[in-house]
Amino acid sequence: MSLNDVLTTLQALPLSTAIAESDWLFPAIESVHVIAITLVVGSILVVDLRLIGVAATKRPLAAFTAQFLPITWSAFALAALTGSLMFLAKPVSYVGNVFFLSKLVLLLAAGLNMGAYHLFVERRAHQGQALGATRAFGLSSLTIWIGVVALGRWIGFTI
Amino acid sequence: MLNAFAAWLLRTPVTAFLENAAWAVPTIQTLHILCIAIVFGGAVFINLRVFGLIERDQSVEMVLGRFLAPMTIAIVVLAVTGALLIASEPNRAMFRVVFWVKMGLVLLALAATWTQRRLILTGSARDGGAATLSVRLIAGLTILLWVGVIFAGRWIGYATGWPGSPS
Repeated sequence: MSLNDVLTTLQALPLSTAIAESDWLFPAIESVHVIAITLVVGSILVVDLRLIGVAATKRPLAAFTAQFLPITWSAFALAALTGSLMFLAKPVSYVGNVFFLSKLVLLLAAGLNMGAYHLFVERRAHQGQALGATRAFGLSSLTIWIGVVALGRWIGFTI
Repeated sequence: MLNAFAAWLLRTPVTAFLENAAWAVPTIQTLHILCIAIVFGGAVFINLRVFGLIERDQSVEMVLGRFLAPMTIAIVVLAVTGALLIASEPNRAMFRVVFWVKMGLVLLALAATWTQRRLILTGSARDGGAATLSVRLIAGLTILLWVGVIFAGRWIGYATGWPGSPS
């Protein structure tokens, strides 16, 4: 079974045709997707500006970021769910869209960036050390997420 | 009058530029969404603090002050990018009912945020340390209003114009 067969099968699911044929389902799912993304980006912005050293600099890093990360993760789960539903409406078109594929690559980069921070920097950052590395990870995270939002908008114009 | 305004907008160099540069509208929309993230995110964080769910080590006044400043700047950028998006297709947004619903909801959300700020800063928000019922009600209302703004905003892209609107 080739990738194309899988995509065609997905596209023929009752759920997929329901989303593709309804006048209001896609915009409704897309609205929830936007709400989820604004919360992902909003909470990540708060954490990244703390990492970069622009805002909330007097607050202890570990305690501060721990308050916002649950919001990031729940909003990301909602964005992934609504994103998958939008994908189901036109799987063949999305997989052939360079902006969609680039967005997936950037999401992977965001995950790797976060993982590398946890593995190599977080412990020292919480003790107030490794300021340069902490700042670099905050900056790269911010750049990646702005790119994710931009690519998302470009998908809308090219799909 | 709206038709005349749209016809005038169509002849401005701004519209001519936005129609010709394919990258301009998605770029403006990206900036618009990033600013929505600041405004909606800020509103959610302030209200999570009102309900005592985050940043309990900081006072409500401190959290409010910290988020309101960037939110105010983002609202100005939203007005500018929003105006540019209207100018990019003058015959579109302004002739859809849902666009005016969005503008009404934006005004209500701003009024609710302003009322909330006044209640919190004058200290009338507290009743023995806890947020009063009115502040909690306004907190919930503010979030609902911003959610409505985002839905209405997305719907502008899908709705059709009212009868007699220019095409």
